[in-house]
Amino acid sequence: MTADATIDTTPAAGSKRERTRAQGIRRFKWAVLTPFLALMLFILMPALLLQGYFSFFAFSIFDAGENTGFSSYFEASEWVGLDLWSDALSDAKFGLAIIRSLLFATGVTVGCFIIGFALALLMYRPFRGQGIYYIFFILPMLTVPIVIAYTGEMILYQNGPLNDILSIITQTRVEAQFLYKQEVALTSIAFLEIWNWTPFSFIIMMAGLASLPKEPQEAAQILGANKWRIFWEVQVPLLRPVILLALILRFLESMAEFPKTWGLLQGGPGSATETVPVYIFINAWQFFDISYGAVLSYLILFMMAGIVLSAIWLLRREKKSLDAMYESKPQEG
Amino acid sequence: MKISKTNLTRRQALKTGAAAAAVTAASTGMAGKAFAGSAEDAIIKAAKAAVPGGQDITGIIWSNYQVALSGPMQEFGKATGIDLKKIQDISTFEIPQRAMAEALSKSPEFDIFHVDSNMIPSLASAGLLEPLDQYLENAGVKINAVGNFGEFMTYKGKTYGVPTDGNVHVQFIRKDLFEDPDERKAFADKHGREMTWPETWEEELELMNFFTRPEDNLWGSANLRDRGSSLAWWYMYLYSAGGFPFTDDLEPNIDNDAGEYAVQTFLNVKSASHPEAAGWGTPQMIPRIINGNAFSCQYWDGIIALAENPDKSKTAGKWSYGPVPGSKFSGKLIKRSISTPIVSMLVNRHSPRKEAAAYLAAYMATADNSARIVGDRVNTFHDPWHVEHFKEGSLPAKTYTPGGMAAIEQNLQITTPPIYLTGLLEFETELKRNLSEAYAGDKTAKQVNKDTTDAWARSVRRIGKRRLKEEFATYKALLPTIDLPT
Amino acid sequence: MSMTKSQRRHTFSAFRYLVLTVWLTIVAFPMFWMVSTSFKPDREWFAWPPVYISENATLQNYLVVWADVSEYAVDETGNLETVAQSLQRPWTALGNSALISVISTTLTVLFGSVLAYGVSRYGILSEGRMFQLLMLRMVPPIVLIAPISIWYSALGLLDSITGLVMLYFLTTLPYAVWMSKSFIDEVPREMEQAAEILGASRMRTIWEVVLPLVRSGLVATFLFILILTWSEYLLALLLSKTAVVTLPVELSKYQGSTEGRIYGRQAALSVGITLPLIVVGLIIRKHLARGFSFGMVRR
Repeated sequence: MTADATIDTTPAAGSKRERTRAQGIRRFKWAVLTPFLALMLFILMPALLLQGYFSFFAFSIFDAGENTGFSSYFEASEWVGLDLWSDALSDAKFGLAIIRSLLFATGVTVGCFIIGFALALLMYRPFRGQGIYYIFFILPMLTVPIVIAYTGEMILYQNGPLNDILSIITQTRVEAQFLYKQEVALTSIAFLEIWNWTPFSFIIMMAGLASLPKEPQEAAQILGANKWRIFWEVQVPLLRPVILLALILRFLESMAEFPKTWGLLQGGPGSATETVPVYIFINAWQFFDISYGAVLSYLILFMMAGIVLSAIWLLRREKKSLDAMYESKPQEG
Repeated sequence: MKISKTNLTRRQALKTGAAAAAVTAASTGMAGKAFAGSAEDAIIKAAKAAVPGGQDITGIIWSNYQVALSGPMQEFGKATGIDLKKIQDISTFEIPQRAMAEALSKSPEFDIFHVDSNMIPSLASAGLLEPLDQYLENAGVKINAVGNFGEFMTYKGKTYGVPTDGNVHVQFIRKDLFEDPDERKAFADKHGREMTWPETWEEELELMNFFTRPEDNLWGSANLRDRGSSLAWWYMYLYSAGGFPFTDDLEPNIDNDAGEYAVQTFLNVKSASHPEAAGWGTPQMIPRIINGNAFSCQYWDGIIALAENPDKSKTAGKWSYGPVPGSKFSGKLIKRSISTPIVSMLVNRHSPRKEAAAYLAAYMATADNSARIVGDRVNTFHDPWHVEHFKEGSLPAKTYTPGGMAAIEQNLQITTPPIYLTGLLEFETELKRNLSEAYAGDKTAKQVNKDTTDAWARSVRRIGKRRLKEEFATYKALLPTIDLPT
Repeated sequence: MSMTKSQRRHTFSAFRYLVLTVWLTIVAFPMFWMVSTSFKPDREWFAWPPVYISENATLQNYLVVWADVSEYAVDETGNLETVAQSLQRPWTALGNSALISVISTTLTVLFGSVLAYGVSRYGILSEGRMFQLLMLRMVPPIVLIAPISIWYSALGLLDSITGLVMLYFLTTLPYAVWMSKSFIDEVPREMEQAAEILGASRMRTIWEVVLPLVRSGLVATFLFILILTWSEYLLALLLSKTAVVTLPVELSKYQGSTEGRIYGRQAALSVGITLPLIVVGLIIRKHLARGFSFGMVRR
């Protein structure tokens, strides 16, 4: 879709100039990609391979004690085949952790998006004070998650300011427990996450709305469409790829949320906040059951890959249809 | 009584602090300082012979604990050139996990781990720990602890740790409420018996329920019920009921009557606990204790020093201390307290500086030095353990009040370790999860024990039954032989 | 009862201010609470009813946390005793955080934008590959941390700035490429062609024509990546020991404090962690106003 039309092709094929040019581009391409691929090859790949190894060979930290050196990890591992995989697949706690994470991520994604989009809709046309609101609205994104966790604790504490404010508003003593009741604990963390990351959705939607072409809206207005119809039938369809992107990115990020959940509740009360990252953390870094952690990690990788690939497929489809729509219009260049 | 309050930088303070500490040691009239110095001198001599010229060493220590250690450490550094220069400063509750991570990476980076000695089996199995017997012998140091406590530093016959702290749970009761005539009368009217010091968990529960008054922001119990550290209480309930977590064949041994009693006792306290207690760890609970929002609890003995410090506590002078309650479940009254975490110094086997580290650790365990460490009035993280600490007029006795010291000694006589086996973190995490779910109302006591049994059986398989059986005798040997403190 | 156009506009305007102000309150309150708590003396940390603005405001929390000042008193026997002492060495952590996040963000944005330029102008990565790049971001760091720590220990990269920077580079690169590409795409190619026709070299064209036009976008990208690296917690926690402790890890030490939650100190440290990013954000606010749409909208 990109630049090929303008700069690098134009088939004067065979001409010497074009050939050096193509060579130059290839050289540039590899010069750029090499450091990145090198990192992938030397950092990520070995980690993934080790992970794969440990998922079939049970490693015990308590057998690795006698020797030193890198090879001792392999000496302390024992072939168990698919045992750990079947353990993991029948692990009810892991299943619950996945459900919790999915619920959490979905709730957060939708929450961030609705608030972010609503704010963007109210704000994308200039008005007095727009700049001030804008700055304030992006502040939460600039706040470190672990800070949010601790500040959240101070506010949500039973004798904290939130209950006090609610008490003043309702004129009764509100003694809600936001963190230590297991029905609401995950929801409270979800609200902290929404607070933290609404700016992200907001900024994306602001950029999206601001860049919408005026003509279709004006045309619709002339045709007598009301604001609501213009919104649903003109603006939203044009925004679909942006909306989808805002949703996907937010979903991925909240699936991986760890600092707030761990910093505040470490999986409790009960197991109410034992999300996937927390559960893997407990297995790999509390039990040092590296092998079981590896299996869990791979399962999550597969699951995420499935989610992401289908999301990307959707996104590409949306973007293509949007591109096609623009290209069919003669005035676009 | 404060003469003046002044702000200094930490560097200045440590310097002055060391000087002041030296003065303290001399002025508090520790019996024959000139002679007592010989124990210290012997260690210094051994260290100098082993590491001529000294060495800079590194460690994982929580700075809260480090402050009280800094006096002896600086003296040792001056005399031998062995200085603890670099520390990784993380909280004691996180150090077990970090030490395991060091064992995983077999890193020589840290020389000393200042960590719960109950991690010794796991860390030794993972190959991280250096046995200290030879060094202690060279330096002429004996770990002279109250009761069976010295054994807590050993594993399969070798000594792996030097204690700096003698953590044990002590019964706390609000004296002012307990002795109030109106309260006593009301209690007698209600229960048909006099209010007495609780001998059993059941008696304690009755007391705690009686003093639970949400309208006055007063709750009967300040026992922890969070997922993090509430397990300490479960151990007391189980051991005092005559139970034990595993059979001799390393089968989980809690899905039975004693196990159910322990969990049920754990859950019963809910009626006298603040509704948010399920999420409160020590950081949230201690303010409640010292601010007068709780009637009683079993708590770590270090809190005595905090609760009796009028600068920090609203309840100074209002507490009685004693042995923890017990249980008649097994047919006779047994009382069991618990020691976790017992912060002690362990040495990294992978480190090229392990000798220097071992002698530094040994230096902390002499009668004088340990008294200065646990006797620090403000940095009260280290608690008494040495036989000498409990002699009349000792420095720790001043910090902990005589009543407090008596209670500590009694509880040390009947103290127990948590599951002193390889895989402690794993066993405990599984149990914590289930207990915490039960406390939240999702599980019954029976289910807790069933689910924990399953999880433990898996852990035993993973860690290796043979390995665990080999160390099981060490664990059992740590349990006290007497039912009640003398 | 139909409203006139101007009436409707007024109603809408009032509604807008109302909604925005409500959200403004929600956004600002935690910030306010953090700052206000950082000035409270310890008796007010848990007070009921809560103290909103302390009448006994004190700098003690900041001094203890940041200036390494401990409170000392002399007792009746003339001994010096500590009344409160700092847990923290936050300046070192601040230095580490700044170094790590600035280095890795600069590298990522520099490299990412060059890559993005190549994609935008020469198609060096197909659209499919670009989407695959996003998958790097989908890997929750927790799933790789154990093997990475074993691998790093074999390479001697544990507790090193290089080790963390490399991981931050990899995990934030997708955002850097996507964001900067969307900004580069917006620069009309005609301008580059014109410059080339006028005889400017490739580098000069990029430097003098393209760069000024995408500067705003790159600055926004930089800030966004900086946010991610500055606040990263898990990798920094598990791969650091003594040498590269970062601020979020430093703050998490309050977690296990046994003298009760020390809200005031924690807040004073939190303010210090938050402030640098907010200052940077405010300085470059005008570059942020365009937002970022990752090229999902045609302009």
